[in-house]
Amino acid sequence: MSSSANAIAVGKKSPRIYSREAVLFSCVVLLVVFVLFTAAVSRMYHKQIHVLADKWFDRGETSLRAGDIKSALTDYRNALVYSPDNTKFQFHLAQALAAASRGEEARSYLLNLLSESPGSGEVNLALARIAVHKGLTSEALRYYHGAIYGVWESDPIGMRWQVRRELAEYLLDRGLQQQAVPEIIALADSTPANDPEQLRAVGNLLLRAKLWTRALDLFRSVFSANDDDEDALRGAATAAFNLGQYNLALNGFGRLPEKDRATPEIAEMYQTAEQIEEMSPFVPGLSREAKAHKAASALAIATARLQGCANFVGQSLAVMPPQTSLQKAFAEIKEIESSGSWQNMAKHPESVDGLMAHVFELENAAANVCGEPAGVDRALWLLGRSRGVTAQ
Amino acid sequence: MSEPISVDAPGAAPPLSAAPSITKPSSGFRAPWKVWTNRVFTMREDRFFLFLAVLIGIFSGLAVVCFRIAIEWTQIELLGSSLYPLVPRVILAPTLGGLAVAVLVIYAFPRARGSGVNQTKSAVYVSNGYIPFNTVIGKFICCALAIGSGQSLGPEDPSLQMGAGIASLIGRRLRLSQEKVRLIAPVGAAAGLAAAFNAPISAVLFVLEEVIGTWSAGVLGAIVLAAISSVVTMRAFLGPESMFRVPPFRVAKPGDLLAYVALGIVGGLASLIFLKWLAHARPRMQSLPRWTQHFQPAVAGLLIGLIGIRLPQVMGAGYPIIDQAMHGQFTWKLLLVLAALKILATGFSFLSGTPGGMFAPCLFIGAMLGGAVGAIEQHFFPALPGTVGTFALVGMGTFFAGFLRVPITSVFMVIEVSGNYTAILPVMISSLIAYGISRSYFKVPLFDLLARQDGLVLPSVEERREQLILTVEDAMRLDAAVVLEPGDKVADAIKRAEGKENILHFLRVRPGEWNLLERSELERLAADASQSHTVDEVKSKGPLPFVFRDMSLEEALHWAGDWPALPVLSRADLSKLEGALTLDDILKAFKKVPVG
Repeated sequence: MSSSANAIAVGKKSPRIYSREAVLFSCVVLLVVFVLFTAAVSRMYHKQIHVLADKWFDRGETSLRAGDIKSALTDYRNALVYSPDNTKFQFHLAQALAAASRGEEARSYLLNLLSESPGSGEVNLALARIAVHKGLTSEALRYYHGAIYGVWESDPIGMRWQVRRELAEYLLDRGLQQQAVPEIIALADSTPANDPEQLRAVGNLLLRAKLWTRALDLFRSVFSANDDDEDALRGAATAAFNLGQYNLALNGFGRLPEKDRATPEIAEMYQTAEQIEEMSPFVPGLSREAKAHKAASALAIATARLQGCANFVGQSLAVMPPQTSLQKAFAEIKEIESSGSWQNMAKHPESVDGLMAHVFELENAAANVCGEPAGVDRALWLLGRSRGVTAQ
Repeated sequence: MSEPISVDAPGAAPPLSAAPSITKPSSGFRAPWKVWTNRVFTMREDRFFLFLAVLIGIFSGLAVVCFRIAIEWTQIELLGSSLYPLVPRVILAPTLGGLAVAVLVIYAFPRARGSGVNQTKSAVYVSNGYIPFNTVIGKFICCALAIGSGQSLGPEDPSLQMGAGIASLIGRRLRLSQEKVRLIAPVGAAAGLAAAFNAPISAVLFVLEEVIGTWSAGVLGAIVLAAISSVVTMRAFLGPESMFRVPPFRVAKPGDLLAYVALGIVGGLASLIFLKWLAHARPRMQSLPRWTQHFQPAVAGLLIGLIGIRLPQVMGAGYPIIDQAMHGQFTWKLLLVLAALKILATGFSFLSGTPGGMFAPCLFIGAMLGGAVGAIEQHFFPALPGTVGTFALVGMGTFFAGFLRVPITSVFMVIEVSGNYTAILPVMISSLIAYGISRSYFKVPLFDLLARQDGLVLPSVEERREQLILTVEDAMRLDAAVVLEPGDKVADAIKRAEGKENILHFLRVRPGEWNLLERSELERLAADASQSHTVDEVKSKGPLPFVFRDMSLEEALHWAGDWPALPVLSRADLSKLEGALTLDDILKAFKKVPVG
């Protein structure tokens, strides 16, 4: 194929001439050799790169566990140099950045991860937490919901439950009770009945959201499974107290250990419940006299509260005709007193209800003008509320 | 059947059609091989060229894979595997690496000096596509050592030259025609660059814009094939992932684009500063005594090492750092400092003559500037769409367009290296602004300037782009012809031309077939008292080749010399004459255009 004549013509300095077939054959052979060589080199390279990436990542994990976030960040970054597309490394770096209060930097990695896997529960949750940190409620809600409905590699049901709980707590912390309620209800519905810990957590959220009836039912169910469960007992008692079921609340608080009852919140509820039980003429099993006596005491307490309140705001209760709500309430009581009907209550037990209604009105009138009462007045006021007498 | 290949080169092969045919039965491996080679060699040369483009693409892709691995290994060995190497390494690695590179370049691979783009371009235009294979080896070793030791340079331009070198070798060994050998170097260049960038479109555009300097349809197919095959090869070994990962974003309002206008201005000014510095300093560095070349890369390495003690991010190609910037890992102040120091470090490396590319440093500087501008803008306008990473991505394209003056390439490059199409509008705006600023205040593009400083006058793409292309419309005369139909009276023809100078008489035989009647003949027959002569009796020239008003004058010139006049026809209707064109008209039009 080669032209020897041409070769001779150009003299000895000309390059050696090969046929095209030979050159092409050499190319193909060279290509095969080159491919094999590159494959071997590439294999070695990738092996080394993986080792380095894993080494730096492990160091990062160790540093993070040791609380050395700065070193962890450097280590994770080094790991990412050798495995830039490793989502696990990116996620851990983002988490370390978030832990270092560098939310914006973490957010950038997370957004990138989210663009690759928009349904990732973990990434959505991390972004939600950053949004919470930055006070971006709508963004936080979006990412929390993304996490709740997202994909979780392990224990998806458990993780979704945890995220929803976190979301509910966040909403309650922000005072967004209206938005929190559906989340808490959904959480309660998705809580397994055989997991008292989760039930207790949901119950506490229900209490925070003032969903007393649901809370009471839930705590009762926990308590029925384990009557030693003090948390459930406390929750049930609290719910009962807020539902006006003071007898039940008193019973629950009374069964709590002394140290639990000593906490200020419980102690106040317990004391109030005790006072209500003590002052209430509606407690079943009371004699007529006892009912009448309790009603009379309540009237005296309420009248004193009304007078105290009037003095506090500088009003005279003796003004005729009555002008203010305090004066009107006082005038009504005076009218009852003058009729003398209350003095025969022992003989006419049906009049206790009417008298107590006036007592509650007195307390409400005072509460409307002077604010929520304390002590026994509070007990009376709450008793009135539990019986459907509400402030105007 | 096939075009003969040129035999003007010494020892050139006989025509392809003369390839031996199979005349006797062969057995085993030889038979299919013979059949296959016979098919290959009996291909038309342009098809064979496409086949070669794939081969070159694969070779280039493999070479780039090895090159990138070599750089990584060198870096790990010399600087360690951490992003923040120990101080002794930071100082010693680039300094000693620079010394070693200087020795290699001076004594073993003198052609490995520089980035590789101009060397490839000069190979195409000066050496008929000849790039010694020694240059490929030299580029591989020297660049791997330089970049791996921390010199502020990148692997893309060297990959381009390595691809071109491989292509040149294959072309020579296969004894392609001179023209094809000249064309095959850019094919390899595109393959090398595509594999290095993992960006085939940008590589094709860059080679067309910067190396070949023209949109040549003849070589476009081969370049695209080579680029694709090299990228496929590279991805098979190093993975298909984009170089950078930036979340998609949406420009909500047209006003948001103003943010990128600011970035374009900053990028344009920064590229201008860098260009002016290089243009000013390079001749001074070249005028230093020759013996200093032994130490220039080492001194550059030392200076870079000193910067690297505090900010090791500026060392090497810096891709992991760009990735970090895109993830908003730096404050705007640090981003600005990194951009400024990278300009400094890259200038040191480049001016010292250390082999290595300018692409990666450009991307680094652009990303840092973009990130900084984005962070500042988002501080004042928190509602701006996109992240700091988005601005960093757009900044890369911006600085690239301003510094290398390749606006189209820069737009596609940003899209390809990020796989993010949402950035296209911002990057177009900011790149064009940066390009405009750079061009307004720095007349000569970087690669042209470097070539001129080296004593070469290579064709400039930008100059070509600005050249006034004359069309037939610029030269044709509108009322210089009379259209006649077969059967028309000669007397009428003369009458219609009365009072007009130099009038031409075109005979429309049928749509697309036009003849030119001779004036003297017409006049002779018109003088006959019978007045019964028709134009069919007149001696004519034709059928004439016709032209269209949008055709270039150079194209029209091919025919104008052979014919006294050409009809200018409508593209929609070949029976409609729009004007007439003569050689004299063409020459007059050329003379009107100012030279230079």
